[in-house]
Amino acid sequence: MKSMDMRQELVNMGGGAHALAIQILGNSHDAADAVQDAFATVLARPGAYDRKKGAFKPWFLRVVRNRAIDLLRRRRPVEPVDALVDPGVAPQQSMENLQRDEGLQRALKELTAGQREIILLRDYLDLSYAEIADVLDVAAGTVMSRLHRARMALKEVLESNDE
Amino acid sequence: MNDLSSTGKPVEKHVNERLSGYLDGELTQQDQQQVRLHLEKCEACSENLEGLRALRARMGQAQLGDSNKDVWREMMDDTTVNVSRGIGWVLLIGGLLIIAGIGVVAFLTSSSVGGVEKLLVSAVYIGLGALFVSVLRQRLIERKTDRYKDVEI
Repeated sequence: MKSMDMRQELVNMGGGAHALAIQILGNSHDAADAVQDAFATVLARPGAYDRKKGAFKPWFLRVVRNRAIDLLRRRRPVEPVDALVDPGVAPQQSMENLQRDEGLQRALKELTAGQREIILLRDYLDLSYAEIADVLDVAAGTVMSRLHRARMALKEVLESNDE
Repeated sequence: MNDLSSTGKPVEKHVNERLSGYLDGELTQQDQQQVRLHLEKCEACSENLEGLRALRARMGQAQLGDSNKDVWREMMDDTTVNVSRGIGWVLLIGGLLIIAGIGVVAFLTSSSVGGVEKLLVSAVYIGLGALFVSVLRQRLIERKTDRYKDVEI
């Protein structure tokens, strides 16, 4: 991949990568640090990406996830989950969207980090099951059951919060 | 009688898990067909599927990360500067070490410099090197353990 193409791809994926890191780290600021670290890792060794091993998007998301987990380990003891939706986007959103996302944010907080990230990878970042398995480094056969359990848990929390 | 899946198990026991696969278009054609047949006769699973569909749509429309591309472009430019600066330092220090190494070898193997002079000059440089390493080590330890390094005054 050409350097300029890679840079543009990274810019395009910044928001999605940020959302993934937020689900792991629990706050927007640390998540941005994880994305910046991932940028540095990729830009320092662009040859590390092998096109034959799959698409760039899941590969980069795996780098972001690893950086976020590294930051989480360094930050222990674990801080309470703060904000799962980036606060910086609020001014651009309508009040209705904001309320909708706040409800989603409250519900996501009730899930485990593993459940949040698998839902995000599929329903927000639109990755296939094979790509999700690649990002999470799990067997492809387990993605469907994990994802279903996570979705059911989120659905249940949303329904109980709406009541 | 229950429909059988490709694994030979009754569909009713497994369709829940396969609802997500059905929704995402990740099932084999055979499994897709079996789930479709099951949905035609099972109201609970059909409702569940609609719930999951709505959930997926809600997630897809949410704003969960900073979508402002300028922020990421700026961050990448900063990162590029830091990466190129790091590479620059590595090249500079590496080059200086190689030049110093060549100088040391030339000095020590030179026949025009006496043994005592070689010993004295070596002692001075080894002393300087030891001091440099000691100060560098101290600084690195401080940097790692200083809890207030990020505090702005």
